[in-house]
Amino acid sequence: MAKGGGLFNLSKFDVVVVGAGPSGSTAAYLLAKAGFKVLLLERGRGAGSKLLWGGKAYAEPLRKVWPELDKEAPIHRWVTKERISIVWGERALTLEYKLGRKVAFTSPLPELAGWMAKKAESAGALLLDEVPVDEIVVKEGRAVGVRSGNDFVSADVVIDAEGANRILLEKLGLADRPSPYDMALGVKEVLSLDPRLIEERFGLERDEGLSWLILGDITAGIPGGGFVYTMRETIGIGLVLNIGHAAVAAEKGILRDHVSRLVEGLRTHPYFRNYWREADVIEYGGRMTIEGGLRFVPKRLYSNGLLVVGDAAGMLVNTGYTIRGVDTAVTSARLAAEAIIEARDRGGFTEENLRAYEEKVRESYIYRDLVEHSGIAEIFDDPFFFSKVPSLATRAASKLFEADYGEPSLLEAIKRSAEEEEISLLRLMLKVGRVVRRI
Amino acid sequence: MRIVVGVKWVPNTQAVRIDPETGTLIRKGVPSIVNPHDLPAVEAALRLRERVGGEVIVVSMAPPPAVKGLELVLGMGADRAVLVTDRVFAGADTWATSYVLSRAIQKISAEIGRVDLVLFGHETIDSSTSHVQAQVASWLDWPYVYYVSSIEPLGDNAVRVERELEEYEEEYVVELPAVVSIAIKAMKPRPVSLQSKLRAKLERRIITWTNADLKLDPRCVGLKGSPTVVAKTVDMPEVPRKKEVYRPRDPKDAARWIIRKMVEDEKLREVMKGIVGDEL
Ligand SMILES: Cc1cc2nc3c(=O)[nH]c(=O)nc-3n(C[C@H](O)[C@H](O)[C@H](O)COP(=O)(O)OP(=O)(O)OC[C@H]3O[C@@H](n4cnc5c(N)ncnc54)[C@H](O)[C@@H]3O)c2cc1C
Ligand SMILES: Cc1cc2nc3c(=O)[nH]c(=O)nc-3n(C[C@H](O)[C@H](O)[C@H](O)COP(=O)(O)OP(=O)(O)OC[C@H]3O[C@@H](n4cnc5c(N)ncnc54)[C@H](O)[C@@H]3O)c2cc1C
Repeated sequence: MAKGGGLFNLSKFDVVVVGAGPSGSTAAYLLAKAGFKVLLLERGRGAGSKLLWGGKAYAEPLRKVWPELDKEAPIHRWVTKERISIVWGERALTLEYKLGRKVAFTSPLPELAGWMAKKAESAGALLLDEVPVDEIVVKEGRAVGVRSGNDFVSADVVIDAEGANRILLEKLGLADRPSPYDMALGVKEVLSLDPRLIEERFGLERDEGLSWLILGDITAGIPGGGFVYTMRETIGIGLVLNIGHAAVAAEKGILRDHVSRLVEGLRTHPYFRNYWREADVIEYGGRMTIEGGLRFVPKRLYSNGLLVVGDAAGMLVNTGYTIRGVDTAVTSARLAAEAIIEARDRGGFTEENLRAYEEKVRESYIYRDLVEHSGIAEIFDDPFFFSKVPSLATRAASKLFEADYGEPSLLEAIKRSAEEEEISLLRLMLKVGRVVRRI
Repeated sequence: MRIVVGVKWVPNTQAVRIDPETGTLIRKGVPSIVNPHDLPAVEAALRLRERVGGEVIVVSMAPPPAVKGLELVLGMGADRAVLVTDRVFAGADTWATSYVLSRAIQKISAEIGRVDLVLFGHETIDSSTSHVQAQVASWLDWPYVYYVSSIEPLGDNAVRVERELEEYEEEYVVELPAVVSIAIKAMKPRPVSLQSKLRAKLERRIITWTNADLKLDPRCVGLKGSPTVVAKTVDMPEVPRKKEVYRPRDPKDAARWIIRKMVEDEKLREVMKGIVGDEL
């Protein structure tokens, strides 16, 4: 086949990006814009089709890549209310914070990632979907391209943006198989509801949204939490469960049902169910995410001709009850694109020239947040936080709000509940103090 | 051998819902896919080409978004695709569909090269009449064999086909040109390949024909050319599930429980009586 597509040669690209999630599409967009011939490969049907998340992205890091974000992106609602609830049985304790500025927005991830991929395509990147990459090909210590089935395409630089289930990276020996305690399973339902009802029930204006995090026994004692996000005409609800602990719970018979039943438990929970009364469940799904913090970050984010971005690079900040992976994926991809552009100007994509990427990451907010929240993994190893603390908090609240005719002070209430729960106050204070400092 | 494969762009019926008022399919917002029954036909064509050389041309009568589906089939390795699309073709029943397809096949023969074999899937997931293939064969006045499980080249002018029916197998030698439809289980369609997909994207290998190209009488195509009348559609209401879960440790208890449930349920009791008789 002599006739190529004019611009493109069929088997040689400047950059091949594996995975059209947020990180892959960002890298493809910025590099295509800078004049690179970019091939973006995605195994799903259409970019974003395989993705699932909670639902909230921080806007500022995205605006750095797309200043037109606020006008063009599929933003469903700007988050103006942040809620945190601790539930225990029928009791619930809720804290709400009202935001003013356009800090974060909700959007279904397939839509948002689809938009990012479109951006990459219109900048000139070539997106091929339904193409699974089987291998990143390394020759003489240098990544030279990718293989899918029997076909090979070569590239000066390969960007691995395959997400948290980083099979290719493991095959290359650049990452170890993660411990199940460093991974979590997200399970989710999408409920469809008239937008006016969403606004009335959650007390929102037309384009306003709510982000709601839930701790407590809705996870059946498994370390993790729940979430509720309002989209334009849907509500996403779900749970994130530590896989290692979930497996133990299943073994011990604590978790007897399929995890989707836990989401059903959240949907039908008396404290929550009236927010989505009469809504239809129109979708459900599950996806893995990272909980290992720094432990999940590979020893190196670059090698000869290869950069790792997004979830695959562990660029995800999990505070234990909230997951922030999209803005960090976009930022890491932006830094990778910058490093590649600089390397080109310096004459080649050698290890030395690509090292700048890792340095940029270390100087960025992602790394700072990863370090700051690294203690979270420790909390996850300790189900204490997920069983005793919520039960204690709701008990303490009950002492405050349910007439006991003794009018306890807050400290008194906590102390009394702690005694009932047989927890030493000292142990409790130590734990909570450590957590609060880290979150 | 020049092989044409008919491929239909269908709404993913797993995602389709029925409008409770009109009883028709709600296609809006439902993603479309290549009719899964047609992929084994594409596979059969590619295998024949691998053995005797030639060309595989995919043809589809569909609205423009079907280009996505044609890209997929080109990605499997088909050489080119013809998208037959025009507003006047809309609303076609099987008769009008087969008329347009047969004229498109004749045009391929006249302008691209003589067509030896036309392959189809066995049926579609959205209408599943299995009428289109037989009708195309009659418009072309070619022989037609259906439910074919394997197809082998036999010189330049014939193919040997096997049909696997419920109780026996049949083997035919069919002279070309001919129309053959392939059973869905006949062969596993190959996945899209990176190189084929790249070529599909980069080289313009999808030809679009409208009625300006086919020049068919507008009264014979689309809704106007469709004699089928839908007399009535019946919506089968969804049976509400009881959502009962019983989890005994002993499987015998589970069996007892389920039998009791079946006996207690009036409708099920009737069904059971039909099976085990009055012993119940
Ligand atoms: C339940 C849950 C809730 C979450 N909630 C939030 C939230 O509210 N806010 C937030 O910011 N983040 C959230 N996240 C995290 C966020 O979704 C991820 O951090 C983000 O999607 C990472 O982007 P990425 O591009 O690195 O990887 P991914 O989004 O995983 O994209 C990787 C892409 O690569 C493709 N791919 C993989 N392997 C191959 C291959 N071999 N060949 C071709 N293609 C391949 C995949 O199909 C996929 O499209 C959540 C995650 C989960 C699971
Ligand atoms: C009672 C009835 C009423 C209908 N009314 C309407 C209507 O008003 N409006 C409307 O839009 N549709 C209508 N349809 C649907 C329409 O008739 C069929 O979808 C269409 O003609 C193809 O028939 P089929 O799906 O049954 O294909 P089948 O005959 O089951 O398909 C067999 C094979 O033919 C090939 N094939 C079929 N269609 C195509 C195509 N378009 N391009 C290329 N190859 C093809 C494929 O290889 C397929 O596997 C109606 C169907 C029925 C049964």
